[in-house]
Amino acid sequence: MSVDFLHPGEGAAVDKDVPALELRGIDKRFPGVVALDNVDFTLEPGKIHALMGENGAGKSTLIKIMAGVYGKDAGTIRMRGREVDIKSPRDSLKQGIKVVFQEIALISEFTVAENIFLEGYPTGKTGSIDWKKIRAESAALFNRIGFNVDPAARTGSLPVSQQQMVEIARALAHEARVVVMDEPTSSLTPNEVSLLFTVIRRLANLGIAVVYVSHKLDEVFEIADTVTVLRDGRHISTKPIGEHTNDTLIQDMIGRRIDNLFPRQRGAAGSKIALSVDRLSTAKKLSEVSFEARAGEVLGFFGLMGAGRTELAKAIVGYDPITAGTISVDGQRLAPHDTRTGVRLGIGLLTEDRKSEGLMGELPVYQNASLASLGAFARLGFVDKAKEHKAVQDYVDRFRIKTPSLFQQVKNLSGGNQQKVLISRWLMRGLKVIVVDEPTRGIDVGAKSEIFALIDRLAGEGLAVVMMTSEMPELLGLADRIAVMCEGRLTAIMTRDEATQEKILNAAIG
Amino acid sequence: MSELTHASAPKRFIGGQLLGSSQLVLGVILAVLCIAISIAAPQFYSEANIIAILRQCALVLIVASGMTMLIITAEVDLSVGASLAFVGCIGMAVLNSTHSLALGMLAALAFAGGVGLFNGLVVTRLRVNSLIATIGTMMMLQGGVYLFTREAVQNHNQLASFTDLGAGYAGPVPVPVILAALIFVVAYVTLRFTTLGRYLYAVGANEKAVRLSGIRSERLKLFAFIVTGLCVGVAGMILSSLMNAGQPTAGRGFELTVIAAVILGGTSLLGGRGSLFGTLLGVLVLKVIDNGIIILGWNQDLQMVVPGIVIILATYLDIIRNRANVR
Repeated sequence: MSVDFLHPGEGAAVDKDVPALELRGIDKRFPGVVALDNVDFTLEPGKIHALMGENGAGKSTLIKIMAGVYGKDAGTIRMRGREVDIKSPRDSLKQGIKVVFQEIALISEFTVAENIFLEGYPTGKTGSIDWKKIRAESAALFNRIGFNVDPAARTGSLPVSQQQMVEIARALAHEARVVVMDEPTSSLTPNEVSLLFTVIRRLANLGIAVVYVSHKLDEVFEIADTVTVLRDGRHISTKPIGEHTNDTLIQDMIGRRIDNLFPRQRGAAGSKIALSVDRLSTAKKLSEVSFEARAGEVLGFFGLMGAGRTELAKAIVGYDPITAGTISVDGQRLAPHDTRTGVRLGIGLLTEDRKSEGLMGELPVYQNASLASLGAFARLGFVDKAKEHKAVQDYVDRFRIKTPSLFQQVKNLSGGNQQKVLISRWLMRGLKVIVVDEPTRGIDVGAKSEIFALIDRLAGEGLAVVMMTSEMPELLGLADRIAVMCEGRLTAIMTRDEATQEKILNAAIG
Repeated sequence: MSELTHASAPKRFIGGQLLGSSQLVLGVILAVLCIAISIAAPQFYSEANIIAILRQCALVLIVASGMTMLIITAEVDLSVGASLAFVGCIGMAVLNSTHSLALGMLAALAFAGGVGLFNGLVVTRLRVNSLIATIGTMMMLQGGVYLFTREAVQNHNQLASFTDLGAGYAGPVPVPVILAALIFVVAYVTLRFTTLGRYLYAVGANEKAVRLSGIRSERLKLFAFIVTGLCVGVAGMILSSLMNAGQPTAGRGFELTVIAAVILGGTSLLGGRGSLFGTLLGVLVLKVIDNGIIILGWNQDLQMVVPGIVIILATYLDIIRNRANVR
């Protein structure tokens, strides 16, 4: 690579009228989901453009198309007026687009300098790598963004904030004209955030178009020049930040009213406390979370990415260790803190990650369904298969689980039917409290309403349902009460009647 | 798989055929081997030779029964060969000093079970990968046996009951074959019909799911390690009976034969999939090859070479079969 590493894009980016990057009419479909529907997105050089939307709005799909991770199904991409074809991450980089993902994509065993020049090490006359030049140029790059990282440091030993700087330096080394920052502040301290903002402004001053993906309103108001909002895969609005207020931005993100999509069959919740959590803390995330859930109610937990919902779910069923606090199921303390005790007391988790924590993909449907209740079908340690199959068949019929037979490997079922198998696993065991984490993740739209109906039915049968969700419609449609989390803390708890989308989002932003 | 064989619907029957065809491939290989060898050397089918093959199979099958359970839980034990030699020496030494077969057996089982327990604790508590953990144990045992004895521990008592353990017959059937059959049947029934067996498959298929279901997955793995160890204890005593001494050099490469038989039988190293019946076929194939090479008077070094080829070939056939099954 014989480019001038020190002066990327200057001179070239002088023409401010031509967009740095222009996406037109982008469509992207996944099986059963339209992720992007005719989306336009235009970036001007030297401007910071925020991309906002709820989880699932299409933000990540859009930036993955820009990064060449996904191919688009339709639409055009122009770089500085010229139509380009981006088929792979390599193409994207070559065109001058650099995406800094939340999960930093550096080789942690390499030094900072090695990572910066990963795609092409400068070489000397003999063809050997010119380490002196690499170190000198790395230092020069950091100088340009006004942030110093030791080029000889092992990348993995650096905090995330500095790894981001390495990625930005890498963007400069590649003469990037577009730099996309994907939720860059989710694991940064306030100090690191303000440093990052300084660097981002410097990038803009260099004539680079910056995309800032976030759902944190305050940050967007602080840094962005322009805001584009996506919702359900559609482009909703693009406006200068000055034309927005907190309320208009939230309104654009949430849009339609959604409260009557969920037919409610169950009656009012009882008054019996089924689950009581008192000042629960974990080593990494949760601090002093306290709440109670009553038999027959759906208690919904909302929070943005990284708020600590999944951590809470895993801690209260005894799966992940806790550092302080108590959990009681039906008045009995969950001690020792493990899932064996949890299941005995009657609390279980319907995991968000079906594949790696729920399903035994290679094994047949009936073995997946009966896993937690196998003891009930055993005599002297031998499984009474006839009894077991009958019980599983019963659930297959009741929940209309679509499977060719009980003997089908569960990995061959659709997401919705797999979820029903996992719900059956818990119902066959008999629970008092079920914790459901993102119950409709990866499930087709059609099957979603069936899962909602099932959750409604669980509560109707007297279970306390604790539902973790990042989907506002799900939350408002199903929950009796709503708890909101932000950065490992419970920031609000309200009844469904008190709740508004604005209130919830405000509490989630903290 | 077991539950598919007694299925009634025709769809299930086809499913059973597909799933079971790993064993089918192996059965065909076994049949072809037997026919080919007996055409070239008719004495292959003599009663004496068949009994010799079965006796050869017994040691491997005993340990492979435990190893199948262990590999189904997605763990593996490479220390069984080294443990086999050590167990023989310890059993023989205890036998010599106590004049009691029962105490000798007990010592052998205690030692081998202890090795399994150690492996299991290292893997489940310290979370060391079982491949690495048991290589460590293997090295410790290989060195440790020489600290225990520099040379073979000779049989001083010549107890008849001890000699029978390896060389005796019950009717026409060698005692080791009977022991192997007993252990095989117990392991088979456990894996196929009991809750314990189902949990072993489950923990191999998805340990996190098992833990979330309130089942102590570590204990299941620990159990499989200990059972594998105990099987080594039985096999070690039979081996020292056959050799009339405890040999510190015995058992080199034994772990590879055992694991090869299990893998050949269709048990997945990734866990959750496999069957003891397949393991039985795997052991038979390997030992028939051994026997054939001797009977045909081929170079004995081929006893290592040919099974190597067969393992790669059979695994490849299995991959092709899986690919064909993908709809």
